Amino acid sequence: MLKKLLLAGAMSLAVTGVAAACDFENTVPVKSLSAGFEAWKAVTDAMAECGDFEAELDQEFRTKQPAAFAANPSLYQIGGVANGTMVPLLNEGTIRPLDDLVEKYGQNLTPNQLIKIDGQVMAIAMMVNAQHLMYREDIFNDLGISVPTTYDEVLEAAAKIKEAGIVEYPIGGTFKTGWNLGEEFINMYLGMGGQFFADDNTPTIDNEQGVATLDMLKKLTAFMDPEYLVSDSTYVQQQFQQGKIAMANLWASRAGAMDDPNESQVVGKVKMAGAPKAAERAASTLWWDGIVIAKNASDEEAEAAFRVAMNGMTPAMVEANNDVAVWLIQGYEPGPLAVGVVETAQAGALPYPASSQMGLMHTALGNGVADYLTGAKDAETTLKDIAAAYTTSAKEAGLIQ
Amino acid sequence: MKYKTFAAFVGPSIFLMLLFIAAPLVSVFMQSFYVTQPIFETVEVETCTPGFPTQTCVTETKTQPVLGDDGRVVTAVRYVGLESYRNVLEPERALAALSALNFNALLTIDFWKALRFTLTFTLVTLPLVIGVGLAIAIAVNNASRLIRGPIIFVSLLPFIITPVIGALSIRWLFIGDGIMTAFLEWWLNQDIAMFAQGWTIELLMMFYRVWHVAPFAFVVFYAGLQTVNQDTLESAVIDGASRWERLRFVIIPHLMPLIIFISLIHLMDSYRVFEEIVGFSSQAYRISLQWLTYDLLTPDDSGNRSISRASASAMLTMVGIIVLLVPLLRRTWRDHRGGRL
Amino acid sequence: MSLPRSMQQPTALRLTSAGFLTFWCLLAAFPIFWIAVMSFKDPIDAFSSNPVSVIFGPETVATGRGLSIVSIVVGIAFLWYTVHLALNTLPRLIRDMTPPHLMIAGWIIGPLVFAILFLIVFLGILPPVLSAVNAVLGPLGKPILGLTTEHYQAVWVENEFYENFINSLIVTAGVVLVSLTVGTLAGYGLARSGSSLAFWILIIALVFRALPHSVLVAGYLPPFINSAEILKPILGEAAPTLYGKPWAVIAVLVSINQPFTIWMLRSFFQNIPNDLDEAARVDGCTHFQAFRWVIMPVMWPGVITTGLFSFLLAYNDYLVCSLLLDAQNQTMVPAIAGYFNRETTTTDQVEAVAAAVSIIAPLFLLIMIFQRQIVSGLTAGAVKG
Repeated sequence: MLKKLLLAGAMSLAVTGVAAACDFENTVPVKSLSAGFEAWKAVTDAMAECGDFEAELDQEFRTKQPAAFAANPSLYQIGGVANGTMVPLLNEGTIRPLDDLVEKYGQNLTPNQLIKIDGQVMAIAMMVNAQHLMYREDIFNDLGISVPTTYDEVLEAAAKIKEAGIVEYPIGGTFKTGWNLGEEFINMYLGMGGQFFADDNTPTIDNEQGVATLDMLKKLTAFMDPEYLVSDSTYVQQQFQQGKIAMANLWASRAGAMDDPNESQVVGKVKMAGAPKAAERAASTLWWDGIVIAKNASDEEAEAAFRVAMNGMTPAMVEANNDVAVWLIQGYEPGPLAVGVVETAQAGALPYPASSQMGLMHTALGNGVADYLTGAKDAETTLKDIAAAYTTSAKEAGLIQ
Repeated sequence: MKYKTFAAFVGPSIFLMLLFIAAPLVSVFMQSFYVTQPIFETVEVETCTPGFPTQTCVTETKTQPVLGDDGRVVTAVRYVGLESYRNVLEPERALAALSALNFNALLTIDFWKALRFTLTFTLVTLPLVIGVGLAIAIAVNNASRLIRGPIIFVSLLPFIITPVIGALSIRWLFIGDGIMTAFLEWWLNQDIAMFAQGWTIELLMMFYRVWHVAPFAFVVFYAGLQTVNQDTLESAVIDGASRWERLRFVIIPHLMPLIIFISLIHLMDSYRVFEEIVGFSSQAYRISLQWLTYDLLTPDDSGNRSISRASASAMLTMVGIIVLLVPLLRRTWRDHRGGRL
Repeated sequence: MSLPRSMQQPTALRLTSAGFLTFWCLLAAFPIFWIAVMSFKDPIDAFSSNPVSVIFGPETVATGRGLSIVSIVVGIAFLWYTVHLALNTLPRLIRDMTPPHLMIAGWIIGPLVFAILFLIVFLGILPPVLSAVNAVLGPLGKPILGLTTEHYQAVWVENEFYENFINSLIVTAGVVLVSLTVGTLAGYGLARSGSSLAFWILIIALVFRALPHSVLVAGYLPPFINSAEILKPILGEAAPTLYGKPWAVIAVLVSINQPFTIWMLRSFFQNIPNDLDEAARVDGCTHFQAFRWVIMPVMWPGVITTGLFSFLLAYNDYLVCSLLLDAQNQTMVPAIAGYFNRETTTTDQVEAVAAAVSIIAPLFLLIMIFQRQIVSGLTAGAVKG
């Protein structure tokens, strides 16, 4: 045991020795606050090579980030954000434009990485993520089903698989009440071509597309594990790995786990495809993750922070962590696992429409949709109640007068 | 004891409670009558995000807050009176549902749904915790001295382990094809999904709470049993009292103050049930009052939180707890009066 | 036993009572036992729906990691002996070896030394010795029970869980010490003052105890983060940012726990006869002197019991620590929630289970050692309610 411990210690030392690949010696204290998933771990580990850097991967970052960036001086110089979590920082003006820094230190960045608001670079994206179709190729081949491209085909395929009785439940879904279920509704509703708001921010979900969306979600649940309202992406991923489901609309960042021999009993059998289309377009939304730099920091700190961040997003880092995410960084080799995201984007999926209103709507949907799926309310009442819940919060937030 | 000495003894404790409990409480109370809103403006914004093969740029009108000269969002504080309370209670819908005697409609309103669950949860688990705790205490007290130590040790385990971990460990036994569900399916010979409908989750949550708290009741009652007056017991035996009568007329009255103590603690703790909702992810079917407050306070992706409604809901929760505690508090008051006379 | 005949129990009652106790013990221990078993298996075994494969871990054995019969027997014997030592010898040793005024230090250092010794022998010495023995034994030495400690290694070595452990120790020790110091003073004052003010303080404390924590905690965050700006006019440049500081969290947890502490301690002090300090006061002591020289020596059972409850609260806290501490100072319980919230793989989950078991283990030891004190402390005090 002790020997193993020592060995482990020596190994980690050796790794540090080799990968010390930062292009400058950082002497300004820099701290970052971000979510805690694998890609952030990889990027912040690479940033740490520059020295004098502390990374905080925190599951409460949504709560902490706006407050910590509003403090003067800001408690963190680098923030890890996504479409949605950038909104409060942008609204409160606590992050700075990065154009001059990009010009100075951003030689390695691709144009696709620059998140621009009104022409100003406000964030640097590092990866994209989207929910797309994953399916068991072996089952589909055995039953002679072609890969579904629309949701009607998904239902047909599911019915065939159920009839054949090969797996317990044909479809897996991240339908856990709250954020996950809200996201499912948003994906499907945008796929149906729906609009969430009128110009004065009042809700417009109480319409045909809304009903069609609820209807489709309910049809899908008929083929799912009856405990779908508690299943999040980890649970669906596990169901896949244990061979209990045949297809699911799952996050691209989960794709790698299907082929992990330590966990999965279906290595090599799960294939990726674009998200199926609903009435109008692919029923999925595109997400990006990236970094922002605090406004309430000195220019010197901001410069150091940006250089440190750039050293986290290098081709070398991507090479070492190629299958962790669908990277936007140079040097990424899109493998078979990235197919799903690209196909989804090409099928017209929209970027997640992040805004203050959308945040409120997402919450209202996440808490409200379940009532229709459990049969407590009919579709019209459900939509009306969700719209009412949204209106109450939007009025309280001052978005609707 | 002189007032000054008393103040010196109690001072530090009072200071801490005032600073960290009373002050936030007052601010919560105030916030429930006000809303703080940013001043918004509507602007055209072009946003470019990653796409394949090239970026997608969208121009749309956005409602965004106005920044002041100091770089902070300009906000306006507005007195709204009881509006936040109305938003939580939704009295019109509630009354309409009540007058139509349609309880299902009443239970589609978050607050009433949460209140229904919280009250059921509290009132069902209370007798169970006391009963199970008492039963274990009496059984252990009757067991031979040799095995008492290990039994007390094992019995205390559910109480000491971290609540989050305890709830998860029970959840793992039941979720999906967890081994307990598999066992039940084999035993009852039918397909069971414990997390697919409300009442099974509710049962599981109550089971977890009793499992977690009964050991505390047990150890308190067990300590109480050690001080039962043996002479009284023996004279009861001589009077020919049966075992049941001895329990009923000697032991339970002796333990009465403890039963009240446990009830008090349990009422307070279970009225703010929260860990179970998160641990068993029961939000789709069952929510509790504290969860409602917590949910309103948790910022969404865009950083919105409904502080005013959360404050109102918190104050309503508090009122509920005080109402539940009044009978027990009145008894304490009488004891206090009696003690002084 | 010299019980009178009528006090002895009929057989049927004994059987029922024994059956009930057995059932309860199974119910109490099983979930904990089960997660402990899961934490030693490969992910595939750990989340298997067949209980037999969870216990024996075929996938884990297949990769050559497991225990032979000999190892199991030796391991169980060793554990049994440890429990025996912890329950009987250790408390006696501590009582005999430490001078009375250092009792608390003795009770802290004793169990710590014991735990470290146990870990060294159990993890450091036993495995190499047993693997040498197994190699000689042939078929008896073949692994039959899948077991791997790799998740514990991942948690403690790679993910540096020991830092969270140390943070937990700091927060917990701080909460127990401060809470008891402030609480005993207040409890004594309240017990000895019959005034209505004392009564109302107790009632308000009770209402405070009933408050939902999430309400309070969310209110702390903005002032904690901006405290440097807020306190600048008072403290100047030295104004600290409270967010992320363990001592700030200690203050919060102590305050939240204060109502329960003063209620408990008050009832203990009420059971210490008033004559005791009255006599001291007649001899010319002030209230504080009476407290220091007369009450303190006899209050330990109550203080230890109350201290244990403070310990549990601080050690098990999730809400306060997760929101008010940054990653560098994070305690163990919020840290494992991180395993679930990030993009978790099944391996992460088993690691989280291993971390959970690591969190429970010290509590085990604590209860083993203090079990008698809890019962005797409650017997001494809480009977009055």
